[in-house]
Amino acid sequence: MSIATENAQKIAVKGNTPKHDKTNKIVSGSEALILSLIEEGVDTIFGYPGGAIMPIYDALYHYRHVLNHTLVRHEQGATHAAEGYAQMAGKPGVCFATSGPGATNLITGIADAMLDSVPIVCITGQVPEKFLGTDAFQETDVMSLAMPITKWCYQVADADEIPYIVAKAFYIARSGRPGPVLIDITKCAQFNQLKKPFKYEKRRQIKGYKPACKPREKDISKAAELLNNAKRPFLFVGHGVLLSKAEKDLLAFIEKTDIPVASTLLGLSAFPTDHPNYVGMLGMHGNYAPNKLTNKADVIISVGMRFDDRVTGNLDTYAKQAKIIHVDIDHAEMGKNVTPTVPLIADAKEALQALLPVVNENKHESWHLEFKKLHDEEYEKVIKKDFQAEGEHIKMAEVIRRLSEKTDGEAVIVADVGQHQMSAARYSKFRRTDSWLTSGGLGTMGYALPSAFGAKMGAPDREVVAVIGDGCFQMTIQELGTIAQSGLPVKIIVLNNNFLGMVRQWQQLFFDNRYSFVELSNPDFITIAKGFGINGQRCTHTDDLDASLDTLLNSKEAYLLEIVVEKETNVFPMVPSGMGVDDIRLE
Amino acid sequence: MKRRYTIIVFTENNFGLLNRITIIFSRRRINIESLTVSETERKGVSRFTIVIDYDETKIQKLIQQIRKIIGVLVVFHNEDDQVFFGQIAYFKVITSSFEEREKVMEIAHRHQAKIAFSAGDYVVIEKTGKEEDISTTLHLLEPHGVVEYCKSGRIAIVKDQHRFSKYAKNMDPEGWYSDEEFHELPLNGKH
Repeated sequence: MSIATENAQKIAVKGNTPKHDKTNKIVSGSEALILSLIEEGVDTIFGYPGGAIMPIYDALYHYRHVLNHTLVRHEQGATHAAEGYAQMAGKPGVCFATSGPGATNLITGIADAMLDSVPIVCITGQVPEKFLGTDAFQETDVMSLAMPITKWCYQVADADEIPYIVAKAFYIARSGRPGPVLIDITKCAQFNQLKKPFKYEKRRQIKGYKPACKPREKDISKAAELLNNAKRPFLFVGHGVLLSKAEKDLLAFIEKTDIPVASTLLGLSAFPTDHPNYVGMLGMHGNYAPNKLTNKADVIISVGMRFDDRVTGNLDTYAKQAKIIHVDIDHAEMGKNVTPTVPLIADAKEALQALLPVVNENKHESWHLEFKKLHDEEYEKVIKKDFQAEGEHIKMAEVIRRLSEKTDGEAVIVADVGQHQMSAARYSKFRRTDSWLTSGGLGTMGYALPSAFGAKMGAPDREVVAVIGDGCFQMTIQELGTIAQSGLPVKIIVLNNNFLGMVRQWQQLFFDNRYSFVELSNPDFITIAKGFGINGQRCTHTDDLDASLDTLLNSKEAYLLEIVVEKETNVFPMVPSGMGVDDIRLE
Repeated sequence: MKRRYTIIVFTENNFGLLNRITIIFSRRRINIESLTVSETERKGVSRFTIVIDYDETKIQKLIQQIRKIIGVLVVFHNEDDQVFFGQIAYFKVITSSFEEREKVMEIAHRHQAKIAFSAGDYVVIEKTGKEEDISTTLHLLEPHGVVEYCKSGRIAIVKDQHRFSKYAKNMDPEGWYSDEEFHELPLNGKH
């Protein structure tokens, strides 16, 4: 490409929509893919090149000023980065990987996106069609691998299909209940010229695919009737509220009805934590009051959540006394785990908007008092102790509390998986929506570092802080290289207790203290970060906590703060596995 | 309480849909009793007829999961009284003498089976019908030496035409459920 064209492209990028002049021109499959991505509004790609995807990378080279490609250090990092990006940018994240090991390395992240309903589009290269099924070099049956963990996947062996399939993929990824899709493209389809001139048409419908539907009037009026007559109504907010951008509608609904609000793990930050109606998090390590009172509510309205087993505990004793209004966009979620009295199949925003005019203005003071009473009990028995610094030993909860204070509840917190995740979920304050990312359904260790990077790409103006355990950190630690190379100021906190803390906790409580392979002898994380070109420091004493957090937050570059925390703390409250939500233990 | 279900799935005729559907069953450790894939009266639409024995309290969840697959156009489940169904079976019976062949042919005629093919030392009997009819035929032919026996999966026609056409609308070229129809689809715990 000539310098002039390069400059022309740079100028085009400065406008809102990057233009290309290839419509109605004959192009190769690879170029058709790149053009299709541009047409779809893609500007960011996370990927890793290799043999079977080289033609696509070659086409990408010509459009490198239009599409911002980040070279990750491992394909799993690409998927999590795409997840973080998708959730912050509000559009599908895109990953490139080559065939064979490139594609198999995507699997964990794709499964993660599937369970947490995150829209990502993965493009994998594949060996030429004539080699399919011959065990050729770097040949894997990616379609069969991806099938159970994608919303949709497709193998392209004909270059002419590319624009049509990309349009279909993006439509499927983002519509209805979002999810991951994968397109596998054979090398010959990448090389071949399209027979027809390039044309792109966005998809608006697919035969037999019903992504969403309007709420039904009779369901709305039935739900309103239940809510208006409820003495102890309770609202659960899930990820669906964030996905449909229904936060303001939820707030209006709550202001009018005065219903207490509890959040799922993925619903965090959809509702302000400092709101008087917010009563905390549901589930295994959620708050005491919402778990206890789930079994006292007379009407439960759940919005955009799926009654995951970590939320419900034993289903046989779960909310049996309550009439349940289940608002979800996905038909298949209705009755999957709990049987709703009113199944309200709809987008969260549309459902809340339809409910608002027909619900009565209300006050539930005595019901709120019940929550307060139980909250106070949790405060005395758990929270207070979690915040008490004991000499030099720093507690995870204390770190989170101060981090929240210092960021004013305005930062994006990206949590990995384990005890530190539960601490972060319990003690982070959220005053702004879209401020929480974590791996919920799959519980993928190693999620946070690449996801935080993706989040920063998707929302460059937000402060992004990754909260990572020492075990998780070592699962995707190589992405420090990606962060360093990008120059993005991602803030990283590693809470180091030299244990796989959550597994250790279970071994202590349910396996008679037999600590089976959970103790970690860790490397010097700060030296490692420095090796990658990222500054950092280790904090080992409570007295230094404030200053070290300030250094982290004030850094203009990426920064790693390792905090050595108490070795053997347990996360409480806890609903023991297989027990009911009201069997929640405080100690 | 387990019941026998004939699940009928109409899909687009695409690669991989068989795989997508069967993993729904294998993931839940459901044994597929029989599975038949066939073309339909509509161009580009395939029909899967799947027979399973399954818990009546869970069947609807399973149907909802199958319906979710992109490329699946219609799916519904039937108990045995809601469908007209049958199978086809072939029996290869050794007939070393003329008398023996006569006897085998007589059994076949008595049971509405026919001789589909014959070679010098064996005949192939063809029998269509329900599982139990085929079992009876097998039972009667066994003393004569059945060296090969194979049976197709179940195929089934929905008896209630009104119910069928309500679903079938979703297979039309521009077809998908209206919001109202989508809401009306059965849910687990609500019949």
